Amino acid sequence: MTPPNLKLVPTPEPAPFYAAAEKIYPREISGRFTRMREIAVVVLLGLFYGVAWLQWDGRQALLFDLPARKFHIFALTLWPQDFLYLTLLLIIAALSLFFFTALAGRLWCGYACPQTVWTELFVWIEQWTEGKRSRRMKLDRGPWTTEKVLRKTAKQILWVTLAAWTGFTFVGYFTPIRTLGAGIAGLSLGPWSTFWICLYGLATYGNAGFLREQVCKYMCPYARFQSAMFDKDTLIISYDEARGEPRGPRRRGAAARSAGLGDCIDCTLCVQVCPTGIDIRHGLQYDCIACGACIDACDEVMDKMGSPRGLIRYTTEHALHATATHVVRPRMLVYASLLLLAGGALVYSLVTRMPLILDVIRDRNALYREVRGERIENAYSLKIINLDDKPHAYRLGVSGMPGLELTAPAGPVTVASGSVSNIPARLEAPAAASGGVHRIVLTLTALDAPRIEVHEKTRFIGPAS
Amino acid sequence: MSSSPPQPSEPERRGWGVDVGLVLWPSFLASCTASLLFFAAVDPALLKDAGPHLFADLDREAGYALGFMFFWVIGAIASTLSVYLIRTERRPRRKAGSGPT
Repeated sequence: MTPPNLKLVPTPEPAPFYAAAEKIYPREISGRFTRMREIAVVVLLGLFYGVAWLQWDGRQALLFDLPARKFHIFALTLWPQDFLYLTLLLIIAALSLFFFTALAGRLWCGYACPQTVWTELFVWIEQWTEGKRSRRMKLDRGPWTTEKVLRKTAKQILWVTLAAWTGFTFVGYFTPIRTLGAGIAGLSLGPWSTFWICLYGLATYGNAGFLREQVCKYMCPYARFQSAMFDKDTLIISYDEARGEPRGPRRRGAAARSAGLGDCIDCTLCVQVCPTGIDIRHGLQYDCIACGACIDACDEVMDKMGSPRGLIRYTTEHALHATATHVVRPRMLVYASLLLLAGGALVYSLVTRMPLILDVIRDRNALYREVRGERIENAYSLKIINLDDKPHAYRLGVSGMPGLELTAPAGPVTVASGSVSNIPARLEAPAAASGGVHRIVLTLTALDAPRIEVHEKTRFIGPAS
Repeated sequence: MSSSPPQPSEPERRGWGVDVGLVLWPSFLASCTASLLFFAAVDPALLKDAGPHLFADLDREAGYALGFMFFWVIGAIASTLSVYLIRTERRPRRKAGSGPT
């Protein structure tokens, strides 16, 4: 009568490998968690297939334009120089995974992982073309009748079409999707686009159509190390062994307790609905993707039997031991504060992002030059990078030393969007005031947007006095 | 005496397909990460200037694809070595009677 242990127990049957794995026919199910999963599938795939077509300012709203090396994210345009954001984003993604795993187990696996989401979609097609679980099993066992051929062909046509569309949409985030579509329509697609569309389409077809739960079991690293983020306060899907055992069939309304039975009627519905084919009653297993299908199945049975729901439920090991569950605990605080820190840094750096970079390099050939007898000149080369998505004209200014003047560039400097401009600059100061080393500041301001302004420190050197 | 017949109770023979998966899959993941980080910092168009006209006709898209393949191959070599070393490791023989746990 010990409650399920948090340690991952090995799957009891000798684990089959790859092709030898028995095909799993997940039984269709309805209920709270199934509905949530369906909503997640519709929302996430809707975003995936839909957002690629949104336009913004006459271009694709979300486009990671690899051929042009710039990322369009709605109003924002990022260049390779904005590498920092990518790093921050990856850190935030990793921390979120830690945070939500520690809080509520494998939310990612059950609801958001592309593997789960696309598998769900492919299973819907399978159910639609081949029927419910028992019919599918019968169909597979039976001979190749016309009906079987028709149903299987229909499924394959839908699967292949969906996979191809998925590959097309995926590549459409990296090269403009409308151009890509026109390329396919006119049969003039470049070799690399074709290659990537086929590769991603093939991966979708293979992963969601055939490999399915085997990806989670054998290929996913997260499934293996998630237990490191679990503790006794993590929400996991558990079978309440104390309440359910000893299991056994009984007549409806029979007083189970007096017959020495627990609440589990051993109907095995929880096993039949499981997309990874495990028996949750053996305890927490790394194959469990926390989809909640077994909860829905069991709740339905408990309702029919007149027993309270929740023989299988989201709970924590502490709750199963009848001790208090702590949502706020050191681990959560550490993850949460790191997450806030990284998120804050990202938001701050995006808000204060200056779409202009100025690099100043002093002329290496001469420290200074005397001009017209009484003046000293220093030469610099400037590197101006315009990170905005429109061209700007910039005015250069100098300060930090009395009598310092800019002699070149003479007028404003125009730099095209997303490009780098290298220009020479010359500064002059009266010889009398320029002995030694002076710290000066160069200021670059966009003429049409004074908000875009950068300051760069450098030195002005005169003859040693 | 030291030579012993292959033990029937060895962990079940796994097909070579598993090894292929163990080689290709982690190296694929590593290659994705490597490509992401590498090409965020390096423009594949710069490859044109590298080497003796090897990449003279290379455009960016080809550069990305070749870079990805390159990282994948390197990763696969590392994975192959790992799998090979694990497979060919000499393990202590199990004592008779003590079955797999």
